[in-house]
Amino acid sequence: MQTDGHKLGFADVNNDVVRSLVVTGRNYYITLGTAIFVMLACFFFPWFYQLFYGIGAAGMNQPTVWGTYLASFIFWIGLSHSGTLLSCVLHITNSEWRKAMYRSAEAMTLFSLMVAAMMVMVHVGRPWFIHWAAPYPNQMEMWPNFRSPLLFDVMAITTYLTGSLIFIYMGSIPDFAAVRDRTTGWRHHLYVLLSLGWRGSDTEWHRLGWAYTFLAVLIIPLAVSVHSIVSWDFAMSIVPGLHQTIFAPYFVVGAIYSGTAGIVTVMYFLRKYMKFEQYITTLHFDNLGRLLLVLSLLWSYINILELFTGWYSGTSTEYEQLKYKLTGYYAPLYWEMILFCAIAPLLLISKRFRTSFVPMLILSIAINIGMYTERFLIISTTLSRQYLPESWRLYVPSLVELSIIVGSVAMFVTLFLLFVKIFPSVSIYEVKETMPTPKAEKGDLEWQATP
Amino acid sequence: MNFIERFAASWREYRKPGYYDRFDYAWTMTIDLDRCTGCSACVTACQAENNVPIVGEEEIAKGRKIQWIRIERYWEGEFPDAKLKFIPMLCQHCDAAPCETVCPVSATYHNQDGLNVQVYNRCIGTRSCAVYCPYEVRYFNYYDHHWDPPLEQQLNPDVSVREKGVMEKCTFCIQRIRQAKDQAKDDGRRRVKDGEVQPACVQTCPSEALVFGDRQDPDSKVSKQMNDPRAYRVLEDLNTSPSVVYLKKVDADAD
Amino acid sequence: MAGNALGLFGDPASALAAAGKLKGAGFERPELISPIPIHGVEEVLGPKKSVIKRFTFFGGLFGALGGFGLAAGTAVLYLHPTGGRPIITFPPFLIITYEMTILCGILATVLGFLISARLPAISERVYEPLAAVDKFAVTVPCNSDEHYTRAEAILREAGAEEIKHIDEGES
Repeated sequence: MQTDGHKLGFADVNNDVVRSLVVTGRNYYITLGTAIFVMLACFFFPWFYQLFYGIGAAGMNQPTVWGTYLASFIFWIGLSHSGTLLSCVLHITNSEWRKAMYRSAEAMTLFSLMVAAMMVMVHVGRPWFIHWAAPYPNQMEMWPNFRSPLLFDVMAITTYLTGSLIFIYMGSIPDFAAVRDRTTGWRHHLYVLLSLGWRGSDTEWHRLGWAYTFLAVLIIPLAVSVHSIVSWDFAMSIVPGLHQTIFAPYFVVGAIYSGTAGIVTVMYFLRKYMKFEQYITTLHFDNLGRLLLVLSLLWSYINILELFTGWYSGTSTEYEQLKYKLTGYYAPLYWEMILFCAIAPLLLISKRFRTSFVPMLILSIAINIGMYTERFLIISTTLSRQYLPESWRLYVPSLVELSIIVGSVAMFVTLFLLFVKIFPSVSIYEVKETMPTPKAEKGDLEWQATP
Repeated sequence: MNFIERFAASWREYRKPGYYDRFDYAWTMTIDLDRCTGCSACVTACQAENNVPIVGEEEIAKGRKIQWIRIERYWEGEFPDAKLKFIPMLCQHCDAAPCETVCPVSATYHNQDGLNVQVYNRCIGTRSCAVYCPYEVRYFNYYDHHWDPPLEQQLNPDVSVREKGVMEKCTFCIQRIRQAKDQAKDDGRRRVKDGEVQPACVQTCPSEALVFGDRQDPDSKVSKQMNDPRAYRVLEDLNTSPSVVYLKKVDADAD
Repeated sequence: MAGNALGLFGDPASALAAAGKLKGAGFERPELISPIPIHGVEEVLGPKKSVIKRFTFFGGLFGALGGFGLAAGTAVLYLHPTGGRPIITFPPFLIITYEMTILCGILATVLGFLISARLPAISERVYEPLAAVDKFAVTVPCNSDEHYTRAEAILREAGAEEIKHIDEGES
């Protein structure tokens, strides 16, 4: 790890990570308290109200029966797409710079998936029967419909959630063992359980290395499939504007794009408030910035392609759809999305921009606002302009829906805040791997750099 | 037959597209737009027969009306030469229904009569069927609806009342079809006779614009009407193969 | 004095060299305990084989067969014709198969990892807390006093910073 000034040693990493776990300031509790309060007030309260009265609490209507709940679902699934996927790709390609940031990126995956699962619960009309969508033997002899794109979702997201949970946990076992020795009280008991009695023997390291690589290899195609499947919820319909073959790559690129922007946001706050300045450096922001630039160009390309195919199809419905998207009621949102996701990221060409923290933070948040708009537009512009003009109707989200969007962000923040105090949010052993060993001669780093 | 042959035979059977071909009936409705006056009697009849809730003025303004059959109105031309066209729109009971494949819990599927049925008790309310339906004829219960006394006295005991969070739609009055089939069975007949079963809308239509029957029977009234040169199906190019056939309005003024 | 000899080293290279010498002196398999994975262990202590890849493969295979079986079996046992599709529809069922392959592959990999790494640890094992921070430990089980003295000598010669005797535990 290249750091400015003071050189980090092996013991410093342990100290820093244990400090991040056990030393908790007042600000942390204030933030956590606020997040929990906002979550309860803005997510659970409106949700219970909606459960009691019915989905009518939201602003959905006849042609636009899907609304911001589903947009939020796609958004959170998308946000989940960078963490584990990026971590796996970088693990397999053996990138050094991954090592300080991947744990929190994977946690982001896990928590955004959890929030996405909650959004499904909020979205459906009868969430108390949601378990019917899972294949399990029951006395009614009722099974789900395996031909449904929504069931692909159920299977894909369950697999992805399980995979991400296992991946982050398995990578943390040695770190649990390391912090186990340094903590007391309930924490110690928790880490004793979580570390499974890990000692760090050569056999254990060997097995972990293999298992971890296998998991990474399994999770990469999984992550790509998850967002393709989410896109098929839309693309398998015959609604003009949704029924497009470009949707699967469009969603996957969009997901990785918004997820990478999410990582930048999370890195900024981790660096600032958890005092990980020596671990998360301009190098990470620079690399993530480059990735964002490439993704934004890809995303813009697919957007242009979407317009082109709509125009080229020449059918009245597609054409109407296109006109409505570019100039209709929701057009300001469309142009806002273009500004935030296609034009603003061009700033990333400058290295000075990529390596400055605050501009990167602002840009990453702007990109995610743009990406949320994209998901909202996918639903609202297409569903409100379908085949029969008699049923064309506008959709405007209700107060309950807006409040649940805010509440879901608070839920994510709450989960993440709890995570940084329980999981070592920087991987101890992998950061150590990038450092020269104690008492080592020069060139020792090269000796152990092979995978 | 040994095991492999049996397996091959059932495999072929299960791989056959359009498994519904061998269903008992193919219930069809024809709507003669030349006869339709747009009086909305069918809408009212359906509302009474199927316990369709009255959502109220406020909800209708929000676009959440529930009408299993509705009259779509289209204006053509500017004021002095304005022309009003209308078309009754109800569930088309498509043979290749997009709504059926998307339901994750199989709450909607094709039954043995070739009807597109909705199982209210199974529905979890993902509303994806309504998105997939190009005809916009699936209606969602945004609230629990209630009937103020004494209105609850007029509820049809043959039809269930739907809970909030459940999708509902036209059933071709499946309760009447069931009754007619039972009657046929009691009488020792194999099949229901043509004209023996009529959904509430068909029964009510004063101009007899709506006709209902089995298109598997070549002598039935619907089969004959389907051969009319005016016959067409709405959004036929989407390949949903609907079971509702419209007869085009012949406009004498048209050029 | 039965038990384990444990030597602490400051860097992986000398720990590895010490382990190699112990093995050369005819000790049972010496073990390295380290805060980071040490590379090159296999050249010194002999090749390691892991069964994890078999678990992953057969788990994935089971998932593929099970996934298709689940989807096709459900469709055949409970005939629900939907959307004019055949009863056994390949494109959707292959997606279910794909997801189930990965799910079962992941779960089997975890199982393989736990079994082959002998985790979770049920019995007490030789452990050195410093080896989770910045020390590299070499440990070797000894049957008798004589064994222990020999092991100690080898470890000291290899440059161990500290040598400990650990009574309990099997490694």
